Amino acid sequence: MKFLGYVRPDGSTGIRNDVLVMANGRGAATLAAMIAKLVRGTRRFIQPNENGRDGEDRKTISRTLVGLARNANVGAVLIVGNKKNGGYPEFSHEAIVEEIAKCGKPMDTLFMDSCGGFQQALGLGVRKARALVQKASECRREEVGLGALNMAVKCGYSDATSGMSGNPVVGHLFDRLVDDGGLAMFAETTEVIGAEHIVAKRFVDENERIKFLAAVERVEEEARSTGEDIRTINPIPANIQAGLTTLEEKSLGAIAKSGTRPIQGCVQYAEIPKGRGLYYMDSWMSSTALFLGFAAAGSVLNIFQVGGGWFPDDAMMPTVNTGLVAPTLYMTGNPRTWEKAHREMDFNSGTIISEREPIEQAGERLVGEVLAFASGRLTKGETLNVDDNLEVYLRGPGL
Amino acid sequence: MKMLIVMSAEDNVGNAIEDIVGGDEISYAVEGKTHTVIARDEIPFGFKAAVKDIPAGKDIIKYKEVVGKAGRDIRAGECVHIHNVEGKRGRGDIPGGKA
Repeated sequence: MKFLGYVRPDGSTGIRNDVLVMANGRGAATLAAMIAKLVRGTRRFIQPNENGRDGEDRKTISRTLVGLARNANVGAVLIVGNKKNGGYPEFSHEAIVEEIAKCGKPMDTLFMDSCGGFQQALGLGVRKARALVQKASECRREEVGLGALNMAVKCGYSDATSGMSGNPVVGHLFDRLVDDGGLAMFAETTEVIGAEHIVAKRFVDENERIKFLAAVERVEEEARSTGEDIRTINPIPANIQAGLTTLEEKSLGAIAKSGTRPIQGCVQYAEIPKGRGLYYMDSWMSSTALFLGFAAAGSVLNIFQVGGGWFPDDAMMPTVNTGLVAPTLYMTGNPRTWEKAHREMDFNSGTIISEREPIEQAGERLVGEVLAFASGRLTKGETLNVDDNLEVYLRGPGL
Repeated sequence: MKMLIVMSAEDNVGNAIEDIVGGDEISYAVEGKTHTVIARDEIPFGFKAAVKDIPAGKDIIKYKEVVGKAGRDIRAGECVHIHNVEGKRGRGDIPGGKA
């Protein structure tokens, strides 16, 4: 079970080799975007505004920036700012540039005030980005084992097949990945309500179990504080119109994607787990935010396991590549969804329903496909140039 | 004969894996034994049918776990969905937050 990956100076393994152009603070975002637009092989991250956000949210944004830059799919990084220091402490040179530098990959910085303003900074930024792209292009793929991968999963557009023939197949993949020394992450705190007692039993550490249960309680309290029946919010209308009835039913189908192995810890949004194995991330479920948080936590390949019973014919996927530096592999366990959307999806386990294929067999097929995508084959979504709407999961008020 | 998937022996509902209409004979397997029930409603692909009578207020069981409670009496063969099931968790609309 081998694939060809990019082994980075810190020992992590990437499956892509992009250059990230990133603003260090919202103020330089336009400059970063313009540089990236002119330079081939780059990706840009336009961060949410840190101004007027509380300390926790600023930490979350800062953690997202650092994590995306450290992600093993990023071969080199250009950090663009207005000034070397001067903003909130979470965006200081020490907190961002020095933190990213620790991973040892090629990087450069560009500050507008030290190069004579925007006009000069743009020219210099383009030069620096081009040099980094050329430097990154020298990286060569080498053979590594399945366990070198960091992966994450989200399920969505859930229906009855999610818990029967979709999520259990991801669970099989995750068991294989964890057994081989890999990192596997799952999340979606609303969608464990009603199933948290089952997940909680699998934590190996009591403190981590308490963190997990506190997260579930916090989110259920947020739901109650709306004064609404959660069912008018989540399950979303697409779930209900496809046959899911309650949040508890959705949750019990959702947790199957985590497989069966012990859970090592409960991390925050965009927090890099300290070890290998299976981790839970306390995050909102939206594909616009969660895949980005997974990528910032180190995932190099995100799986979007879709029920899709609600999809129209010849459907386009709701988001394409919201992990930004980590591609999204779309799969379904619903044979009707595959029929409707196979042009945009990467894997089908609807065969469990249509042909009575055993879950383990579909899971082994998925392992094989993951290795192919990890070795360089593009996902269907990666063949598109789409600027997805990206969000960072922020919990505090705008002040 | 139409097919229903029942996830465990304790479950009182199963999921249709084809489109079922009222009057159809439905077959489902639990622990290797095949059972049948007559559909009383339309049960589209992915929707649930009761495989046992479920009195009002009693739990709906799927995956051996509680997924909600019957909002009214539900008879075996009926479609089980938001018209006759209440969620029990995250109920901001109910004092105490649980149904």
